[in-house]
Amino acid sequence: MTIRYVEPLHASIEGLQAQQDAFKEQLAGLRTELDDLQRTAATQSGATQDLQQRLDDLRALAGLTAARGEGLVVQLDAPPPIAPLDRPTCFAPDLTDITNMAWRAGAAAVSINGERVVGSSSVYCVGSTIVVNGTVASAPFEIRAIGDPAALLATFDDPAQLRDLKRRRDERSVIFHATRAPLIEIGPYTGPIAVGSARTE
Amino acid sequence: MRSRTGALTVAVVALFLGVLVVSQFRSREAFSRTLQQETPETLTTLIADLSDRNRQLRDEIFDLRSRLEQARSSIAGGRGALEESERELAHLQVFSARSAVSGPGIAVRIVGPFDERALSDLVNELRNAGAEAIAVNDRRVGPRTWFGPGPEGTLVIDGAQAQGPWIVRAIGAVEVLYVGLTRTGGIVGQFQLIYDRTRFDVTREPLLRLPALSSP
Repeated sequence: MTIRYVEPLHASIEGLQAQQDAFKEQLAGLRTELDDLQRTAATQSGATQDLQQRLDDLRALAGLTAARGEGLVVQLDAPPPIAPLDRPTCFAPDLTDITNMAWRAGAAAVSINGERVVGSSSVYCVGSTIVVNGTVASAPFEIRAIGDPAALLATFDDPAQLRDLKRRRDERSVIFHATRAPLIEIGPYTGPIAVGSARTE
Repeated sequence: MRSRTGALTVAVVALFLGVLVVSQFRSREAFSRTLQQETPETLTTLIADLSDRNRQLRDEIFDLRSRLEQARSSIAGGRGALEESERELAHLQVFSARSAVSGPGIAVRIVGPFDERALSDLVNELRNAGAEAIAVNDRRVGPRTWFGPGPEGTLVIDGAQAQGPWIVRAIGAVEVLYVGLTRTGGIVGQFQLIYDRTRFDVTREPLLRLPALSSP
């Protein structure tokens, strides 16, 4: 296909992503506004104060509040292509493996290129572009994990874990390394909370 | 002394902002480069996915605005924001897997060899298809759930050993979930090729009941 057909598609993607960023900002603002309103109303009675506390706890558990602390930063990237026709790598399975490993090591919060990983998060490839929380991203990837750096590093360094990724790193077909970080900040999840079919029992 | 500290603070902030701007520029540049390598079919799929996500965000913004308005009018009428807070509590309990839930969805029955990476991929695929709540056998999948290998016929879920056969249940839009998993080239088709001694059955379920998360 000629460039004149492809270029408008690139422009559409960049435009839609910019629109999404603006929507997310708007959504975050509305959530804060609603939270402030509930907090002010909660000061009026003991029952609502208790409810407010439960809401605060659930928001933190769900990843709707910012998190900060020490942890691990993982870098994942593809080396420069040797031939121009080298097929780009789809990193989605690696990203889910790394996230799984971080939870296993007791991480309290994880993000992929700034996208907070929450209960509804999925990571998949469209071509070699990654979609995380419905947001498009590409290599290089930075996975941040807040938690005990020693426990995180020990799990990542365990030769029995992430074998495939480590083999490819040793073969120099992928760039992959993890480093301790004394202070990591991970922003809140700013996507939709779709609850339409499930009802609490 | 004070002015020296001030100057140092300004320098540190400027350095931080500079690093931030440079890294954002690099990441944007890398993203544009990746897009150049994609086929028109891939670009069209990305456009459809982004449009769909933006529609979800627009719907949620609309819903949140109307809830804000209702809460304001309730407070102005002296009734407080209790109703809105209770509604949000119910939403968050589902979202964070802290309450037992019921609703329509699908069930995936897996009989035969299966591993933790495939189970993690299946959960990822269900989330991608919009699952609102997921359970593996009798264990609810939470925001920080992890899967590990176990001895023959078992897997580790959030540190606890679980025994196959596996039944993965997901609540959500039934047809979207069903088609998402069973479409040609979809994850179930891929599993059937890879795990040729394992049986996979996907069924639509009018009512599923899933337990609350059993670990923090």
